[in-house]
Amino acid sequence: MAFFKKDNFKRDAIIGLIVWIFLLIFFFVIPSPGIHDIIQKVFILGLFALSLNILIGYLGLVAFGHAAFFAAGAYTLGLFLQSSIVSNLGSLSIPAAIISAIFISTILAAFIGAICIRLKDIYFSFLTLAFQMLIYSIILALVDITGGDQGLMGGFPKPPFLGIDLGKPFDFYAFTIFISIITIVLLRQLIESPFGYGLRMIRDNPDRPAALGFNNQRHKLIAFIIAGSIAGLAGSLQALLDVGAYPEWAFWAKSAEPLFMILLGGMHSFLGPLMGAFIFEILNDFVTANTRYYGLVLGLVILSFVLGLRRGLLDWLLIKFYRK
Amino acid sequence: MLKIRGISKSFGGIKATDNVSIELKPNSINALIGPNGAGKTTIFNLITGKISIDEGKIFIGNNNITNLKETEITHLGIARAFQITNIFPTLSVKESIKMALLAKIHGLNNMWDRFSSHSVNEEANNIAELTGLKKVYNTISSELSHGDQKLLDIALALALKPKVLLLDEPTAGMGPEERWEMIKRIKELWQKTKMTVLFIEHDMDIVFDIAQTIFVLQQGAVIAKGTPKEIKKNQAVIKAYLGGGKK
Amino acid sequence: MEIFALFDCIITPACLISQTAGGLKIGMLLFLVASGLTLVFGVLGVINFAHGALYMLGAYFSWQVMSLTGHFGLAVISGAIGVGIFGLLFERLLINKVYNADLLVQILLCYSVILILDDLVMIIWGDEFLSGIGVPEVFQVPPLFIFDAIIPPFHIAIIVISMIVALLLWIIMTKTKFGKLVRATAVNPRMLEALGVNTNVIKAGVFMLGSFLAGLGGALAASLGSVVSGMGNSIIIESFIVTVIGGMGSISGAFLASIIIGMARSFGAVAMPLFTDGIMFLIMVLVLVMKPEGLMGKKK
Repeated sequence: MAFFKKDNFKRDAIIGLIVWIFLLIFFFVIPSPGIHDIIQKVFILGLFALSLNILIGYLGLVAFGHAAFFAAGAYTLGLFLQSSIVSNLGSLSIPAAIISAIFISTILAAFIGAICIRLKDIYFSFLTLAFQMLIYSIILALVDITGGDQGLMGGFPKPPFLGIDLGKPFDFYAFTIFISIITIVLLRQLIESPFGYGLRMIRDNPDRPAALGFNNQRHKLIAFIIAGSIAGLAGSLQALLDVGAYPEWAFWAKSAEPLFMILLGGMHSFLGPLMGAFIFEILNDFVTANTRYYGLVLGLVILSFVLGLRRGLLDWLLIKFYRK
Repeated sequence: MLKIRGISKSFGGIKATDNVSIELKPNSINALIGPNGAGKTTIFNLITGKISIDEGKIFIGNNNITNLKETEITHLGIARAFQITNIFPTLSVKESIKMALLAKIHGLNNMWDRFSSHSVNEEANNIAELTGLKKVYNTISSELSHGDQKLLDIALALALKPKVLLLDEPTAGMGPEERWEMIKRIKELWQKTKMTVLFIEHDMDIVFDIAQTIFVLQQGAVIAKGTPKEIKKNQAVIKAYLGGGKK
Repeated sequence: MEIFALFDCIITPACLISQTAGGLKIGMLLFLVASGLTLVFGVLGVINFAHGALYMLGAYFSWQVMSLTGHFGLAVISGAIGVGIFGLLFERLLINKVYNADLLVQILLCYSVILILDDLVMIIWGDEFLSGIGVPEVFQVPPLFIFDAIIPPFHIAIIVISMIVALLLWIIMTKTKFGKLVRATAVNPRMLEALGVNTNVIKAGVFMLGSFLAGLGGALAASLGSVVSGMGNSIIIESFIVTVIGGMGSISGAFLASIIIGMARSFGAVAMPLFTDGIMFLIMVLVLVMKPEGLMGKKK
């Protein structure tokens, strides 16, 4: 069918809409809160992993400090909703909070990106990590504002907006998945646009673009900023889910999670990281239900992917069944 | 078209380029020859702005391009293909040529169109035909034959619609038949596009066959320039080459 | 920011000396671990992110030997050698598969090993903190008083041991045939192979040495504190910082950087107790921005 062959925004948007409606129906057909929870988490973490893959998979830049933006988004949303602004904005609070979260992580990404982009290879990776840990230390140190190592305490209100009450499970489920799918469809457009192909060009041959009259650095910076904003959005959704924000989200181990997802699902297919998030969550739930030794199992799984499969699951499946 | 006046470049005390002056007439096809290590690729690097010039000036048309940035120089009409192919391994031929076209017209900041259906498709097609890459149009670059990769490198340079095209050893690594194929193609390209071409080459038969003007480089300095006839009789050149020629 | 507390400390001999001694102790212990990391990177081109897990193994091994024999010296040495041997196996079985791979692959491999080892030690030794191997009897003496500063003699012993190890390392690397081979392997392994040298043996040897150092650090740490799963996860970050600041592959750089970091933590704890770690990261950011190849590193 031509519909499935044509590569355009409308088609992707329609597919997104269909998936969303399907998942909404799913909510009632399978009314298990545990499963709904997993689906939500898969989308939130999936956004986080997809944003990192802009840098790792498409640009070839290994960023170790990506969770800095996730945490920034989370804390911004939390602090916003805890502040007195809420009483003034009322029902606009949550949309405003999410927008602020994206805004702050965008600014942070612009600042950190501008400095890190100037370095190459491992030095770039280390500097992003250094910045993330610096932010972690700052979060811990500003106890009065952030709650220090306890995290943002006391919760925050979630005023209903546009008829959506995030206190109700269905509303939260529908809202989170909706936002995620919109972001994914927009990201898809970005990746398949000339801009997106510019990323691949830089990844394949960083020196050649200059001989074609093209300025790498600005391109990389814009990509870095976009990746940071999406991570911030994911963080804000996570904060809404957990009604709080925790310093662990700024610790280096949190940056390893999207890396695992990219490894498990694949970095060369657009939805690979999302599949990776799915595998990661399922593994998480299944293992912690059966044994305390989650690290052992996860470690063995990753080891087998690194040494055995050598690529993510979606990548592998696509190559096996879809080799052009 | 391209005027190089007395350029020099030293690397840590060693003069890699020594007071070189080269002038290329518009629509001409020229060769730059010389023994290995004479500094031919260095001159290309100096022209395209990959390395900085110590002394001297370079003009394209009336524009002084001395020590401009690489990206600026490509916008002023100089394009280059590399000695070791410098392409984009995971992109197909079609995608690579489109990329090169979009890079020139700043279309790469475009986030709203779909690359696959972008309007440069037709132009890309033309370039592929010009360089004889139509038959491998959808092949991934890393899977191309060596000869096709070199053609792709040239195709990328052509996407810039250059006034001056620099080709660094376009027949390197090829057998004798393939070499003549490549050179024929380059000649056709030159005739169709009316560019000014300067190529580096080691195979003397090829050089004498198609170049209008030949520049001979040795140890960073130009020791002779002229038509193939003149160069063949030039004593300094014969001495420099002492058994050089067909590689 | 307790800037006055810092100022006060510096002008008080007792505080100045005890903080300096503390800084040296932290720094020297850190050097033991970081030197192994930077050595492995310099020669093998691998960033062994699991280095902290090796440190942890050193602590556990030495604890085990201590509880079996009660002999401090034996415990420490067995801990270090045990980890050296483990490192050899680790290198032959896993590490050599990622020698020329992407940074990402190396990091993922090492991180999976950390996850596995962190749980494995819990399975073998239990989840609880194990109390440390304690200080050897000869050092169970009253602390020294230098200008009113209280300095446990054992801490001085640790500083001295570490410096001796540093010296030995320097001698091995610069004066012995092994050291020359190692340095040559770092620069041009293929040339050496063409000359008939078995670089695999050298690589394995270097990794063993690096692991030995990590294990030694862990064993000594076990004498200063308790032994628990995951204790390698903070030392690896600090070793990383030291390696980057000092220059990847430079042992003298690691030495200098370790002292800087040790002092920064010691005095930083006085000046900014909530932000002590932050100071380290700030230094790392500054070094990477101004001189990415590190204080003693060479520009590529």
